[in-house]
Amino acid sequence: MKKIGKIIATEKAPTTVDEFFFWTDKKQIIKPFDVVKVTHLNDSVTFGVVEEISHLTDGASFLAGFISSDFGEVDSKSYTNRIGMNYIKARVVGNTKNIYTPVLDGAIVTLADSNDVTKALGLENIKNPLPCGIIEMYEGEDKIKVPVNFNSHFLIGPEGAHLNISGISGLASKTSYAMFLLKNIQERYLKKVKDESVAFVFLNVKGRDLLAIDESNEELPENDKKMYKDLGLEIKPFDNVKYFYPYSKDIKSTTYADINDVKNQQELRKAFQYKYLFEDDKDSLDLLFANIDDPTQTMESIVSYITSEEGTFNGITNWEDLKEEIKKYQEKGDTRKDKTISVLSWRKFYRLFRKSLERNLFFSNSLKRDGSEVRLRESIKQIQKNNIFVIDIAKLDEEAQGFVFGDVMRAIYDLKLGQIEREDSEIPSKIIIFIDELNKYGSKDVPKNSPILRQLLDITERGRSLGIILFAAEQFKSDIHDRVKGNCATHAFGRTNVIEVSKSDFQYMPSVYKSMLTRLEQGEYILQNPIFRSPLNIKFPRPLYKQFKNG
Amino acid sequence: MTNKILEFIANETNGKCYQSFRYCADDEIRMPTLDYEDKGNEFSLIKNSCGETDTSLKTIKSIKETAKKVINNDPLFHFFLDGSRRTYKVDDIEINRNVYPVIAGQIGVACCQRQSPDQFKCAEFERYFVLSLPRAANPNIGDAKLFFNNLKDKVNKLSILEKRKIHFEKILSYDSKKHEDGTKYEHLGIATIQDEMIEAEKKIVASLYDKGLINANKYLIKDGSLQYKPMKTGDFKELIKIKNHYKSVIGVSKMFNPELCRDKDGKSNADKIAELKLFHRTPAYKYKSEMVGNVHFAIWYVRIREKEHSASPFAGVLKIEKILITDDEIENGVESSEVDLITANIINERNPVCYGKDDRWANHLYPIYLTETFIKSKYLSDINFLNLF
Repeated sequence: MKKIGKIIATEKAPTTVDEFFFWTDKKQIIKPFDVVKVTHLNDSVTFGVVEEISHLTDGASFLAGFISSDFGEVDSKSYTNRIGMNYIKARVVGNTKNIYTPVLDGAIVTLADSNDVTKALGLENIKNPLPCGIIEMYEGEDKIKVPVNFNSHFLIGPEGAHLNISGISGLASKTSYAMFLLKNIQERYLKKVKDESVAFVFLNVKGRDLLAIDESNEELPENDKKMYKDLGLEIKPFDNVKYFYPYSKDIKSTTYADINDVKNQQELRKAFQYKYLFEDDKDSLDLLFANIDDPTQTMESIVSYITSEEGTFNGITNWEDLKEEIKKYQEKGDTRKDKTISVLSWRKFYRLFRKSLERNLFFSNSLKRDGSEVRLRESIKQIQKNNIFVIDIAKLDEEAQGFVFGDVMRAIYDLKLGQIEREDSEIPSKIIIFIDELNKYGSKDVPKNSPILRQLLDITERGRSLGIILFAAEQFKSDIHDRVKGNCATHAFGRTNVIEVSKSDFQYMPSVYKSMLTRLEQGEYILQNPIFRSPLNIKFPRPLYKQFKNG
Repeated sequence: MTNKILEFIANETNGKCYQSFRYCADDEIRMPTLDYEDKGNEFSLIKNSCGETDTSLKTIKSIKETAKKVINNDPLFHFFLDGSRRTYKVDDIEINRNVYPVIAGQIGVACCQRQSPDQFKCAEFERYFVLSLPRAANPNIGDAKLFFNNLKDKVNKLSILEKRKIHFEKILSYDSKKHEDGTKYEHLGIATIQDEMIEAEKKIVASLYDKGLINANKYLIKDGSLQYKPMKTGDFKELIKIKNHYKSVIGVSKMFNPELCRDKDGKSNADKIAELKLFHRTPAYKYKSEMVGNVHFAIWYVRIREKEHSASPFAGVLKIEKILITDDEIENGVESSEVDLITANIINERNPVCYGKDDRWANHLYPIYLTETFIKSKYLSDINFLNLF
């Protein structure tokens, strides 16, 4: 392979077990994350990942540069350019004979080929391979591409679970990356894995993002098709998809989807409208107030007062009656002797409840008998292997979005905990939930007693063993509750901004990686997973399913 | 048998070592003659004669336009030669009741080639170690050269050197008779090492010439004066050879003794050189070496940096020397157009500068500075070298 430089070990910058420095020609193009090889003792090879690149000349000061241009003549020319070189800091990622003595001064540094890169990054012989992108290294004729696989046991359990994707809106293409992985998971489970099964629940929070994931992307460029082929993947959208839209009579007032598309999907029996019926869903009432600061827990008391049918809440059968009943309470307060809940609290509760009830048309009294209307809980209880449920909450207000998300999580929890009468073997062994804008439910600012946050913590902390896996995305990782992100085995970092990388979440990253994060292109991610020896800079192809230009 | 170099030498020379303090002599012993790269007393102006063909040039001449014109051409200078030595006083040795210093030195000579503005490579390089002992160290009357050569071979077989794969190239000898004028032995020892370095420089020029690398389009700049001492041997054949080798070589001195600056009438013109305007040159004067009657030089001065930016009146002024080769040149001097072209190219070599790295930056030419840095990087460190003894 091409020799590009030699190791330098000096008094001030010695080579160590962890890192080394080497010089290269100033015109040698190399970038952070590139892998280099160094010849080492006993004919072994030490691999390093480039971290920092500096250009150095013998100019003693800025002033020397100024003087060298005839004291500030921009057009001055000279026969000789100042002597200069690049020196590169690389981090040791391995040695072919496990020799971790620091590499020696003067040792030759070369570029690596794809086999070397695979070896260096610990990507060879990965068990349960699941494609997660392509590493591109070097430039020009030296360029190499290496497909990268996760060990799926470290992404969706049992060894490690949960994925967190962060990056700024649009430029990071968080949804696209999550979908790329989820599609690969579905393909793997459909084709290769027989002893385990998986089902998916996606929450569509933005426009029409996920409302046509079983329709193919007719505009997929050839380059991307080639990437799919290189990764050994089918060029085919998702299978077995069902869409759930919030109920409204005209459909369009509760979803961004095109009404004709929805109707087509309904005809194909793959789209449904979901509703919440009082008698079956009143237990979820607490979720409606998840983001309300409730330090004295009065809201919680009211909810339990209602759901346990205390006072005059006994015998109520629909949401309207409930509203009327609460109205009475806020007018005169609790007429019983026990006056633990003040009229003011009832008034607050009434105000919030009434607002939700009037805005959200999915609070309803009954379902149509033709099967076009469903209860989400009921549907999730019946989720089949390899099914994908896309639940549209994009057009709902924030409280309702939280309510649906919380309810979905509860339903999945109940299903996996065996609260439902279904043969164990029939229940998918893993259920993967995908939610964007996690910051709405799992941020540090969410009230501590929020039932949704509790549910999220439950999933991230105990979901792995139950087979409930969370794939979540947010713009700013630093906003997310420490226990939620801390329990994710895999982290994908897309493009972000300088303020974000200055936060403590990025403290452990070398400064060059940090600044790279602010420059990543669309379709480019930095991945961290327990099986990788160092963070990887990967690229992935555009989605295989239909893309809506205007969201 | 002892393994220590000095003890071994003492044994072989019937001397006695004092194990005195060892130090790098370059900082301690300043040889006054080294302050300037030219030696006045060995060299004299030929009065009323010009070093160039244009005899009408009386005062100074601007080369600015020529320099501007040639900046876009391939540069004239492709090779840059520099020699350097580092000397150490490693011990005192008593021989026959006299105490002499033992001087050791590292000699490095390199010629670098500029292949393109970005490609600066070493074309020739030599580094070696020498020792300098008093001539009295030879215990027997007879061929001193043979004795020191044998001594060198024996020293090189000592395990302390073999283990480190280090060997001495030569053991030089300096004059051990007492000097009336107070010249110290140290200076004499260092001078032998200096001569050895000059010898090495000459070898490199010869080698480049033989390879056909230096020619009329590819000149070599030698750092310092071309007034080589060995020319005093007067060996005619050697002289012819040397002259041929130096056809496309010029010497550029950063430091020169302003006292020796003379115009063609023999009057001091140090003031005129100090007043030299930017990018102007003086007329070329004709000098000849006193030692050998027929080695003539054309010498002129050029200012490459504004006076206002330099530390002394002579900072920014370079002295350029060229050996006159043909009879025509000896008679009439160098073609003035050639003097202009050389000067223009020197002016264009002014950037970049080594400001902040070397106090002599205003007089330094960057490729020469690089060559010097290259040689220094190849030296054994002082501690390492001194601990051989």
